[in-house]
Amino acid sequence: MSNPKDRKDEAKDDLFAQKAGALFRESADRLDGQAQSRLNRSRQAALAELDSGTVTLNRWTQWAPAAGAAAVAVVAVVLLTGNPEIDPTVNPGTEQLAGDFELLMAADSFDMLQELEFYSWIDIDAELEGESATGADVG
Amino acid sequence: MSADAGVIAVSSTCTPYTGAGTLQREQELSRFLAEVEKRALRIAEISIRDRDEAHDLVQNAMIKLVRKYSDRGEDEWTPLFYRILQNGVRDWHRRQAVRNRVMVWTGRAKDEDGNYDPVASAPDPGGRTPDEHLQNREAMQALEKAVRELPARQREAFMLRTFEGLDVRGTATAMGCSEGSVKTHYSRAVHSLRETLGEHWQ
Repeated sequence: MSNPKDRKDEAKDDLFAQKAGALFRESADRLDGQAQSRLNRSRQAALAELDSGTVTLNRWTQWAPAAGAAAVAVVAVVLLTGNPEIDPTVNPGTEQLAGDFELLMAADSFDMLQELEFYSWIDIDAELEGESATGADVG
Repeated sequence: MSADAGVIAVSSTCTPYTGAGTLQREQELSRFLAEVEKRALRIAEISIRDRDEAHDLVQNAMIKLVRKYSDRGEDEWTPLFYRILQNGVRDWHRRQAVRNRVMVWTGRAKDEDGNYDPVASAPDPGGRTPDEHLQNREAMQALEKAVRELPARQREAFMLRTFEGLDVRGTATAMGCSEGSVKTHYSRAVHSLRETLGEHWQ
């Protein structure tokens, strides 16, 4: 609830703001030719950014981390589900999948991807060694 | 090696602004910047009392807006533009404070670079009688002086609401604070200015 005094004060505030705004706009409209010319040059320089490709590059780099993580996830799923040696329904294999996935999602996952064949070879080698030691049937 | 090639390929094939789309967006941005630039310059100039530096701040704000937010909706540009500009003004004041401390430390007082003269730099009159023009110019100078003496956040709120005409929500976006804070800062600013300038100004 506002009393008449408050309302009167608000009305004065509004009048004050209107006058201040009008004076300001008048001062902006009266900017000299030199200032207007410089503003025009600034505007053209800014718009040139659209043609320079900087805008596109920023948009790509903005999404790069997410795109990288998604790519790693896709590669991980393809590799792991596409490997007939590993049965994801068996618990030990699932644990391994989770460990591999976590490793692939780590910060240095791009380096990891480049060495993927090497790591895959180590992985298979270790599995074969385990089989021969325990005689377990993975398939 | 292959990763680099992939980045270049993506950049060159997924360019979002091509042909008619680019031209239309460029025209929209051009219209927006042309519409806002004079007021932005005056707001920056009032904030830092230096037209040259104000020009630089406005140009930086324009470039950053185009680089980062050109894909946003037009209705978002005004608060985003002023947010960039206000950040520029705050950075300028921080740099200036450091510079002044260094100047004092090295024994150099503020020199001829600081002799800003709003009367000399005032633009030519247009469409008003000399008396009206003089009155308005004096009133604006008094207002500018009073606005500069406001605390920074009150000054920002007042200029964005009254000079640029942003609503409370847009001002909050530009200032990076809540709408409640904007209302408080603005209300205090108006009361303070009315008190400083006196009844005769109104």
